[in-house]
Amino acid sequence: MDSYAFQLYSQILKIFWCVLLIIIAIAFIVFAFPYIKDVLIMLIIAWLLAMLLSPLVNFLEHKGLGRSWAILIVMILIFAIVGVLFILLIPRIIRTVEVVISKLQSDVITEYSLKIENFFEKNFNNAELARNVTATLNELGIKLLGSLGEFFKSVGSFLASMVIIPFITFFLIKDSRRFKRAFISHVPNRYFELSLNILHKIGNQVGNYIQGQATDALIVGMLSILGLFIINLAFHGPIPYFVLIGMFAGLANLIPYLGPVFGAVPALIIAMLNNPPNLGLVLLWIVIVFIIVQLIDNVFISPMVVSKSVNMHPLTVAVAVIIGGNVAGAMGMLFAVPLTGIIKVSSSQVIWGIKNYELRHPSRVGENLSKKNKQ
Amino acid sequence: MESPMWGNGIFKKKNKEDSIFATLKKVPIFSDLKPKELAEVEKIVHQRRYKKNETIIHAGDPGLGMYIIVNGSVEVVEEDEKAGKRTLAKLSDGSFFGDMALLDEDPRSASAIALVDSDIMGFFRPDFLDLIYRKPKLGIKVLLALARIIGERLRHTNELLVKIQERKDTHRNG
Repeated sequence: MDSYAFQLYSQILKIFWCVLLIIIAIAFIVFAFPYIKDVLIMLIIAWLLAMLLSPLVNFLEHKGLGRSWAILIVMILIFAIVGVLFILLIPRIIRTVEVVISKLQSDVITEYSLKIENFFEKNFNNAELARNVTATLNELGIKLLGSLGEFFKSVGSFLASMVIIPFITFFLIKDSRRFKRAFISHVPNRYFELSLNILHKIGNQVGNYIQGQATDALIVGMLSILGLFIINLAFHGPIPYFVLIGMFAGLANLIPYLGPVFGAVPALIIAMLNNPPNLGLVLLWIVIVFIIVQLIDNVFISPMVVSKSVNMHPLTVAVAVIIGGNVAGAMGMLFAVPLTGIIKVSSSQVIWGIKNYELRHPSRVGENLSKKNKQ
Repeated sequence: MESPMWGNGIFKKKNKEDSIFATLKKVPIFSDLKPKELAEVEKIVHQRRYKKNETIIHAGDPGLGMYIIVNGSVEVVEEDEKAGKRTLAKLSDGSFFGDMALLDEDPRSASAIALVDSDIMGFFRPDFLDLIYRKPKLGIKVLLALARIIGERLRHTNELLVKIQERKDTHRNG
């Protein structure tokens, strides 16, 4: 009985220390989060990049290249991509958004305001209501685009401080096995195989998921660019910056359900601001192009490249996007769904491990043997 | 046991490295490998220390890979609710067990328990598959050696079966 009481006491003490440790860890994260937010975002981006590029390093190694050379080549590739993004795209995006804002603030918005006012006066005989509606819409539009501009500017400054990300990525790829071994070496023997197996499975599934999402975004972006290019050919260029818009559509596609809408809106706004002679038809074709791209994505691309195990309920997506937006703004909104996908995949693997490994009787055989030895 | 994270390659104890190499060289799966290839394998094995009576693998758990005894002693046991515990083998330095798990994730057929404090190396399927992809020549060498060992075991099992069958026939005929 005494021995039982002692065992119970030690178990309770163990649980108490575990709970205390978890509370301290949570308190530390909550307290330190504002200070470490930027570093955390950088680490997450570097980790996502490492996950994305590791297969390329492995492929080069498979082709007979030494690992260091393979990483070096991939590293140069990362620098080239970041450099191209930094030099070519970001200033152009900022300029585009600024042009759009200035256009909205000038002639085009007045024209649309007048049209809406006339419509309200004719149908509801209420000019004041019309003015209120147009004023609110105007404010909303400028606010939205303003925040978009800020987002891209913040991405720009982020990219400027991001010379460090390729370095983190380099070491994450180079020493991934070492980090894994280091982590696993601290796991107690009784959870060793379980942890190792779960870690490998999570690594595989998350890697596949990230690569799938990236491939999907790339193909959707390219299809959108192609569709908008055809509209430009047919209607004598009503959509300038169609390459940027297509790329944005590809990125926005990371957010299920809402992404396709976010992707189409810039094309519609730009076309409206450009105000070509047959605007109605152009707008209709833009909507058709994005619907066709979505159909191709949903029927052919997604089922092939994105794992089904990461299917998410629309409510989950909405909550993730809201939380992501609150934590890290537009960037958070973009990466919220992939990160939720990663959490979903990881937790399903942990549950698999707990179900399949005998955690409830961790040392049953050993205990029996020691009992026998004592006898 | 040195942490792979904080361990410094320059000051690593030479004799310990040599003992890992020597142990790996003793394992038939790795016996044909050159020192450079053994160094590649050494990078992906996990070193663990088990206390006396500590369970290394549980029967029924998903198989993940094989274990090599660097120094110590391990008992392989089969537990049955009716028949109780049955010792299948007692293994010592340089011996290995659980090698079938390098091929699939089928549940472990027996448990392994450390009889004394033991240093054990683990070589696991995901790392092995990764090695086959990254270094096909080395991977094929290891795979071929594994196939040879399993083939030998199958041949031995067949011989035993034939002997049992012959004994049965003799017994039946009187």
